[in-house]
Amino acid sequence: MTNVETFKYDNRIVRAFAIATAIWGLVGTAAGLLIACQLFYPDLNLNTPFTTFGRLRPLHTNAVIFAFVGNGVFTGIYYSLQRLCKARMFSDALSWFNFWGWNGIIVAAAVTLPLGLTTSKEYAELEWPIDIAIAVVWVAFTINLLGTIIKRREKHMYVAIWFYIATAITVAMLHIFNSLEMPASIFKSYSIYAGVQDALVQWWYGHNAVAFFLTTPYLGLMYYFLPKASGRPVFSYRLSIIHFWALIFIYIWAGPHHLLYTALPDWAQSLGMAFSVMLVAPSWGGMLNGLLTLRGAWDKVRQEPMLKFMVVAVTAYGMSTLEGPTMAIKSVNSLSHYTDWTIAHVHTGALGWNGFLTFSMLYWLFPRLYNTKLFSVKLANYHFWIALLGMMFYVVPMYVSGVTQGLMWKQFNPDGFLSYGNFLETVIRLVPLYKLRAVGGSLYVVGIVIMLFNLYKTCKLGKFIGDETVQAAVEKKAEHAEKERGHRWLEGVPLTFTVLATVAVIIGGLIEIVPMMLVKENVPTISSVKPYTPLEVMGRDVYIREGCVGCHSQMVRPFRSETERYGEYSKVGEYVYDHPFLWGSKRTGPDLHRVGGKYPDAWHYNHMENPRSTSPGSIMPNYPWLLTQSIDTNALPGRIAALRKVGVPYPVGYEHGDAQKDLVEQAAKVLIGFSTGSITNAKPDAEIIALTAYLQRLGTDIKKAPAVTNITTTAALTK
Amino acid sequence: MSEAALNISALTVSPDNKSAAASCAHCGLPCLTTAVRAHDKDFCCTGCQTVFEILTENGLTQFYELSDKAGVQIKRPTRREQFLFLDEPAVREKLVDFSDGKTSRVTFTVPSIHCIACVWLLENLFQFKPGVGRSTVNFPKKEVAIQFEDAKISLSELVALLASLGYEPTLNFGSLEGAKPKPAFRKLILQLGLAGFSFGNIMLFSICLYNGLDSLGTLNFKPLFGYISLGLALPVVVYSALDYWRSAWTCLRQRILTIELPIAVGIVAIFAQSCYEVFSRTGEGYFDSLCGLIFFLLIGRWFQQKSYERLSFDRDYKAFFPLSVVRKNGNRDETVPISALNVGDHLLLRHGELIPADARIVSGEGVIDYSFVTGESEPVEKRAGELVYAGGQQTGGVLEVQMTKPVSQSYLTSLWSHETFAKERNDTLDNILNRFTKRFTITVSVVALGAAAFWWAHGQPNVALKAFTSVLIVACPCALALSAPFALGTAQRLLGRQKVFLKNQHTIETLAKVNTVVFDKTGTLTAPGAAKVEFHGAALNEAEERALFSMTRHSTHPLPVRIGEAIAKQHFPETVYSFLETPGKGMEARVANQEIWMGSASWLASRNVMVPTEHQSRSNSVHIAINGAYRGCFTLQTSLRQDADKLIAALSNDYDLALLSGDNERERARFGDLFGARANLNFNQSPLNKLGFIHNLQQSGKTVMMVGDGLNDAGALKQSDSGVAVVENIGAFSPASDVIIEANNVPRLSQIMAFSKDSVRIVWVSIMLSSAYNFIGLGIAASGKLAPVVCAVLMPLSSITVVGFACGATHWLGRKHKLGGKQS
Amino acid sequence: MSTIYMMIPATLLIAGGFLIAYIWSVRNGQFEDTTTPAMRILTDDKPISPEASDLETKN
Repeated sequence: MTNVETFKYDNRIVRAFAIATAIWGLVGTAAGLLIACQLFYPDLNLNTPFTTFGRLRPLHTNAVIFAFVGNGVFTGIYYSLQRLCKARMFSDALSWFNFWGWNGIIVAAAVTLPLGLTTSKEYAELEWPIDIAIAVVWVAFTINLLGTIIKRREKHMYVAIWFYIATAITVAMLHIFNSLEMPASIFKSYSIYAGVQDALVQWWYGHNAVAFFLTTPYLGLMYYFLPKASGRPVFSYRLSIIHFWALIFIYIWAGPHHLLYTALPDWAQSLGMAFSVMLVAPSWGGMLNGLLTLRGAWDKVRQEPMLKFMVVAVTAYGMSTLEGPTMAIKSVNSLSHYTDWTIAHVHTGALGWNGFLTFSMLYWLFPRLYNTKLFSVKLANYHFWIALLGMMFYVVPMYVSGVTQGLMWKQFNPDGFLSYGNFLETVIRLVPLYKLRAVGGSLYVVGIVIMLFNLYKTCKLGKFIGDETVQAAVEKKAEHAEKERGHRWLEGVPLTFTVLATVAVIIGGLIEIVPMMLVKENVPTISSVKPYTPLEVMGRDVYIREGCVGCHSQMVRPFRSETERYGEYSKVGEYVYDHPFLWGSKRTGPDLHRVGGKYPDAWHYNHMENPRSTSPGSIMPNYPWLLTQSIDTNALPGRIAALRKVGVPYPVGYEHGDAQKDLVEQAAKVLIGFSTGSITNAKPDAEIIALTAYLQRLGTDIKKAPAVTNITTTAALTK
Repeated sequence: MSEAALNISALTVSPDNKSAAASCAHCGLPCLTTAVRAHDKDFCCTGCQTVFEILTENGLTQFYELSDKAGVQIKRPTRREQFLFLDEPAVREKLVDFSDGKTSRVTFTVPSIHCIACVWLLENLFQFKPGVGRSTVNFPKKEVAIQFEDAKISLSELVALLASLGYEPTLNFGSLEGAKPKPAFRKLILQLGLAGFSFGNIMLFSICLYNGLDSLGTLNFKPLFGYISLGLALPVVVYSALDYWRSAWTCLRQRILTIELPIAVGIVAIFAQSCYEVFSRTGEGYFDSLCGLIFFLLIGRWFQQKSYERLSFDRDYKAFFPLSVVRKNGNRDETVPISALNVGDHLLLRHGELIPADARIVSGEGVIDYSFVTGESEPVEKRAGELVYAGGQQTGGVLEVQMTKPVSQSYLTSLWSHETFAKERNDTLDNILNRFTKRFTITVSVVALGAAAFWWAHGQPNVALKAFTSVLIVACPCALALSAPFALGTAQRLLGRQKVFLKNQHTIETLAKVNTVVFDKTGTLTAPGAAKVEFHGAALNEAEERALFSMTRHSTHPLPVRIGEAIAKQHFPETVYSFLETPGKGMEARVANQEIWMGSASWLASRNVMVPTEHQSRSNSVHIAINGAYRGCFTLQTSLRQDADKLIAALSNDYDLALLSGDNERERARFGDLFGARANLNFNQSPLNKLGFIHNLQQSGKTVMMVGDGLNDAGALKQSDSGVAVVENIGAFSPASDVIIEANNVPRLSQIMAFSKDSVRIVWVSIMLSSAYNFIGLGIAASGKLAPVVCAVLMPLSSITVVGFACGATHWLGRKHKLGGKQS
Repeated sequence: MSTIYMMIPATLLIAGGFLIAYIWSVRNGQFEDTTTPAMRILTDDKPISPEASDLETKN
């Protein structure tokens, strides 16, 4: 038996992912560009259901996050992991399952989202069958990753590997917990959580999607590709290790800050805030480590575009990780939240950190995969400058717009009235900035096209090496047992004990939990808050399908400026039947939580047919099909049943009995409402009827409320 | 692939780039007269050429693309035979870390590891020879651990392979001691990580509680979070704080008071109080403060454990002596490990080899350099029948000696059997902190009891208890415990950057206490390399000088070599014909048609050259005769290190000074002037005398610092309160000491001692600072209303300010004493 | 807020998992040498032509 082994690195899978990354990069950003233009030129919605902003926005976010960045992560991991472990991937079968599975899921998303099949939970819009597929593929990836690590030939696990592990494990857990939903039909489901709880879980996920999908894996990639590209070891390896563990030990908690000033309880908000602020330290540890690695190599940075990209990426990371916590500070958040500031923030991260690092990686990777030189360094440099310009043109206007709108919302005139009582004024003010943003976006897209060309040419230039044969000496295992014996035992005892003790106590804690989970929960609820009627449920589902939540929040924050504008601020108790919650995270249009009864039914009819007819200058798309498409009453029983399963107290058998009757009766009422608004030609079973019913119901229950009392409802989880 | 390599390398040179002065394709050094040209590349020597060929035939030329000047110049060619003794079971078994009969692993120290390329080459060792397995480099330690299959390759082959590549491992007598025990590093970072983990997570729950968790109606989170916090805190208290329990226990057993005791008490108090609150559902406890406290304390310890990987502060002669020596066995020579030598063995010592044990010369002329062993500055000539001492270095030709004493009981080595080396100085207990702790603890206990009594008297026993515990809680001297580690630790690091390496932080405190400084002469105050060379006689003309210079380049004897260096100037060496050196006597050669003789007066006389009387008496001189006619003589006088005089002057104000030299009286006058009347100068000191001298000083109540370099100072260095070992370059051998200092730093010694004094003052200030915090806390605590949140704020706040101050102030001091920044 | 009851154990579970990982890595000596690994990754493996891939027999 020899102690030297010959084996092959799998470059094919790397190439596959790399190509996917490049292509999805174009798709995702192009989709983004399209919807960006729709915001100042609504006709670009093309008056078809499938191309409206509401449906394309999730497509854009999913394409960028899961298709572009996702494939980028896989590319980087499949390349670096093999080399760091001196081993081929654990299983080629799993590798390819991972590739086709993941990209299949993305195609599925690209089909279902325009069709309006969505759960409406941000970054988790995909419906339950796809959610299951994601879980399966991700687990396959995790097995492949861990398997490779286990059979590695290099004893030391380079810090990047730790970041990869963190990504795999955490994302799996987050995805599963957030996607717990109750199917109502093959493509329709309701979150098992209601209102506040749904929000809490969603943003616990939402934040960590950012943390563990867009950050940790990319830090891993940075720690591999930055030293490789610059030819010098990372500034302080020790710091990188500390940085990792610090991040891991606290990052996971920082979720709730996305819900500051919402109905989420104070302590949870402050918690999110505190931890986000604490996170600056480890994040900056990573950034400084990255930048300092290049100290003394700036001459190289000038020559090599991939280093330029890397520098900007790392800087962008630093900026957004400083900005994030800043935005988590309540006072700042009260201004920034729901505005374009948030958009600017995420795009600093996405365009700068993820985008630039991915480009850098691709430019570095393709020449090596094809054993040649980059086709044109000059073009790569063009790409860099164009992309950088694009980023600036994108981010800066968004900051301006965010602050402008935030201030306009809050501004009162001397008489104590809102200076901009009409929400529309604050939107029209932003349109020029939206145009600028589109310019930036298109520059960024152009950059990607240039890259695609450059990379294509590079491939043509060289010869692809599918399997790279290398040799490594393997460690003889016998050794460990030998040298570890002795003091290991001594130190082993207390440590093992304490670990066991901890486990014991935690289990104790959980035992403490279980009974509590079974007791009735006392959320201060409002007697007058009742479940939605069948018609409203159908209307709400239309609201979800059309992605209204992308532009309209349903959460009036406890500020005078908001209560003046919208009405009484939102209470936790009002959402107990909201599966899923529809608080939203951006107000391109006004908040709708108190829209119920604000306008006559007919107004909604006209507004949906052509928003500009009721609100001149509005940038909302037309929804003519709502006037023609019929309510899918066959789906009603399934939905009522599903909702009951997740805790909405519909009487048993209601869906087979009175549900349909109630629906028809309420529809008739709405039709009368239309006709009083001199709309006589309304289609009697049109979806607009359901939607109107829902909108008119929104936030009205509390007005009927005689007094706030405590009625007990059972906690979602007890079901 | 080479493309890839090119791209990843920061500073790349393509192997065949021709600079003005052709540089070696392997080691990058300029190619001199010895240069060879092969494979249309230049090599500075055949050694380098060979390595290049080995690499090429194994297809490892990527090596050269990894970094500039990647290669290591091959000083002297090595033969496998000289390593054969490594295969002897006795030696082998000592050297290998582990062996299961089939595969073995051995760890070597390889000083020539210097760049990424080295790492790469050594970790690709398996490409060279079958049987070589996985090899792992530890760059900072300059170590390589190699697995190999006993069946396919022997230890000697392995070492030969390394040597042939220019990575000859250091093998000395000390290597046989076996691997040194691992530091407590692992355990500490385990405890640290655990504490950090729990701290971070518990804070999550605490923050909720501080922010009115119960705004959530009657949903009862409080107890739950309490339990979880407890669960997270438990391992921290048991495992992370383990060392504090241990030391506290020792304190109690030995009736002594160290900082650990009050800390332990504090931890107990916090933990007990918190548990009580959780179980009685009266509160959420102080678990966050508790874990934070331990976390910070451990960071302090971590900071304290500054170790310099390449240095060793506890070397003895074994690390200086060779591992093997050539023994005459009948008519054949064998290389044997020193451990296998017996009295009576006949040993062969080549030029530059070390005498392993006291012996009597059998044949050959000995020119023994004792400078490192006895402190004698000049090599002494020994003839057959005379005794030579272990540790001396033969600088003449081949010498055959017979051992008269075993290695360990020789004149020099017997020093290590002195009891000074037996007892381990226990300096951890007597330090600033512990001295302060005494008063501190007493005060605290008084306050605690007082508070308790007060409330008891006012008939509020529960408040009394609360007051008592909370006093103990806030009084837990966390910040206090951090003050010294961070102040002194920073000082230690600052000095380290200046190539002044301290064994541990406590050394600084001792440095500050020193009131007497004792110097060794040779190699410490005087620089071995830099001797003043003077020529006596009619000045040499250009041609003569060049001829002499060319000739000296061929000699290995220290005197001609130094003369050569002195007269080198711009001379280009000429070809030297029929060079002949008579070891220890002189050398002759034809240069530019001149017959040149160079050597001792007696030798010239023996060739009937008339040496003028005024020159005959000159000590330490080399006489020249050209074409049979006396021409004059060179004299060498050891010269002081640069600025050594300034140092003595600076120190003599506030310190008692003394000189201890193994050398003869020759230079007494000179050093008399230097040290002034007060100092006492001692010459002809044996290693034991030196040790005794220091001991006497200490008896008379002095705190002594010994500054020395040689093995002969080892005893004195060990005995002194702080021993300062001087080395020409870091990593070179230095005897056991508290401080290792690079030779060119010797003049800055006064500066360094002043700095230490100030750093200790800083510690006092930070101690005051932290106790101020403690007493603020005491105020609140004694009144019996210490809210967890107050504790949670006070504790980190105090720690951070103290740490901040300690580090900041020390850095400021560093700048004040011009210790800032890196030394180029 | 009963979701807290689900998130806390879930998160603690993950966090605990990472803690175990940390303990393992320390005791495995992963962090003994924090210099060489950073240098090691800079060098690429020596590629060998598939034909010569039977090198271990030569070894």
